Amino acid sequence: MIDQVANALITLQNPDGGWGATRDRRSNTEATSLAVSALHSLGEESGKDRVIRGALWLTERQNPNGSWRLNDVATAGSWTTALAIIALSAFPEQQKRALDASRWLLTQEGSKPGILAELILWATGKSNVNRLNNDLIGWSWVPNSFSWVEPTSYALTALKKVRSSLTAEAVNERIQQGEAMIYDRMCKGGGWNYGNSKVLDYALWPYPDTTAVALIALQDRAGDQANQESLQALRKTADEANSGLAASWAAISLNVYGQDTRDWQKRVEKRFRETGFLGETKTLALALMALNGKANPFRI
Amino acid sequence: MLRRDLLKYSALGALYPIVAACDRSPKWQRDAFRKKENSRVAILSATRYDQALKDTIVRGIKLCGLDVKGKRILLKPNLVEFDPKGVINTHPAVIEAAVDSFRGLGAAQVIVAEGPGHRRDNEYLLSASGLYDVIKEHRVRYVDLNTDDVRATPLRSRFTDLKQLYLPESLYNADLLVSMPKLKTHHWVGVTLSLKNMFGVVPGVVYGWPKNILHWQGINNSILDINSSLPLPQFAIVDGIIGMEGNGPLQGQAKSSGVLIFGDDFVAVDATAARLMTLEPQKIDYLAKAGEFLGNLDQEKIQQVGERLDKLQQDFAVIDDFHKLKKLTS
Repeated sequence: MIDQVANALITLQNPDGGWGATRDRRSNTEATSLAVSALHSLGEESGKDRVIRGALWLTERQNPNGSWRLNDVATAGSWTTALAIIALSAFPEQQKRALDASRWLLTQEGSKPGILAELILWATGKSNVNRLNNDLIGWSWVPNSFSWVEPTSYALTALKKVRSSLTAEAVNERIQQGEAMIYDRMCKGGGWNYGNSKVLDYALWPYPDTTAVALIALQDRAGDQANQESLQALRKTADEANSGLAASWAAISLNVYGQDTRDWQKRVEKRFRETGFLGETKTLALALMALNGKANPFRI
Repeated sequence: MLRRDLLKYSALGALYPIVAACDRSPKWQRDAFRKKENSRVAILSATRYDQALKDTIVRGIKLCGLDVKGKRILLKPNLVEFDPKGVINTHPAVIEAAVDSFRGLGAAQVIVAEGPGHRRDNEYLLSASGLYDVIKEHRVRYVDLNTDDVRATPLRSRFTDLKQLYLPESLYNADLLVSMPKLKTHHWVGVTLSLKNMFGVVPGVVYGWPKNILHWQGINNSILDINSSLPLPQFAIVDGIIGMEGNGPLQGQAKSSGVLIFGDDFVAVDATAARLMTLEPQKIDYLAKAGEFLGNLDQEKIQQVGERLDKLQQDFAVIDDFHKLKKLTS
């Protein structure tokens, strides 16, 4: 099965060396980074050329400030930079690029609501509708907007992979605050929605993919009660979702926590047979990582 | 009045001149938008999802005088999240009937496209909602607008600070965009209908989930800028067979309303839908502003066909913040 998934992923590679979200889509940094990570982690000589071309697609598109745009149409550095760092950090010869990108990542901060917005929210009695600590800063999807769990988790994972080569003071402070932000956003009972645990006094429910990426980012705090609760939430929500994406993320996340993932791998295989993951590059790449399990690119 | 309330109202009063001053600049080019003299909106009765909806949809399309022969149709349902106990999404039976209807009326191509605001997991969302079976059985292509190729599109109005939006290429490769929202209340803006449904065309892979940049810029403002900048003609089919009241768009209660609403003017369709929910459209911020330049809001400018509005009107509950929208009915 692993060969079939790998082949399905390989056939989606564009002539320019990158991958798009699905067949016939323009190459983008998210899909290419995940595909390169997945195929490289297989360590197979036969697919080496594909991996090199994918990595080249990334290196040729790194911005002078170290960041990556989403694709050739976009103009600004994006949240996908963290995924490119994770992909390139596996190549010893690309360490400088990964570090340049990490320094850019350290300059990026999620914004807080402005004073005017805070005042309006306070005046209308809505200052705490989302039950958030707005002082905790992580990373946003796009510049000048709020910190969210998923981009913050990718950024933390990327920074933790290369932190030994960065100035300790700068990186440690951001990592600590990013971790605090993620824990602050945790749903009651564990797991994560996109960024809030509550809206207008209604509890929000955790999602398997968001919970998995948050747990990956917090893998070096495995003993924390919050992590243990969230691992349970991950199993429950991924079970309910019953999709290739949810099962793949569950397997990858549980794998970095040293847990048995065989049942999840079976689910990944079953969903691949049933739906082919709708031909989505992201799910194919994550499924390959889930089925491989030996060299998990998300392990810090 | 409590001292705390007094302080709040004072703060709001102090803010007013600032907000008013910011509001003086024109938000759209006056000569770039021409509203139609009159807009036609059809209200048709449909009480169950297991009835023959295709006939009703064909009738609605014909009543509005829409010709789809040879056109490439993009159906944009509201598929945002799934709750087995909830009624969040456009029902797959309505989407299925729309696919059949447009094909039957001679459309060259019909695709279903959505960029779910709360889920990245298409396989889960399509399977759980029942839409996967529809697209498989009818061999209709589904496009995830969240990860579609994008094109930088200049905004034609300036309610947000955004100068451009990246919009999916699929919008540029279609001849007609059919907004297929659910008839729902919304806890931030009052109602979510065909105009608000356009949040789903904004690609998550660029702007993130749950498309926070649009909330950051103000939901009302974003609705106006997205809709003013859509690059193709539009039509709406509102699924009001079972709607949602209360704390919508996700956690409200089901409301059997028994209607489908049709029209080629999103503002007129949404104003009519709001009136069906006994909500005053002029009091819904984005709808009132949209009525100034995008379409017809006034009842006198809407030629309503099909069922009589007052016959099918339902009292939709709203959260406390939106009691002001409730229209007093006899």
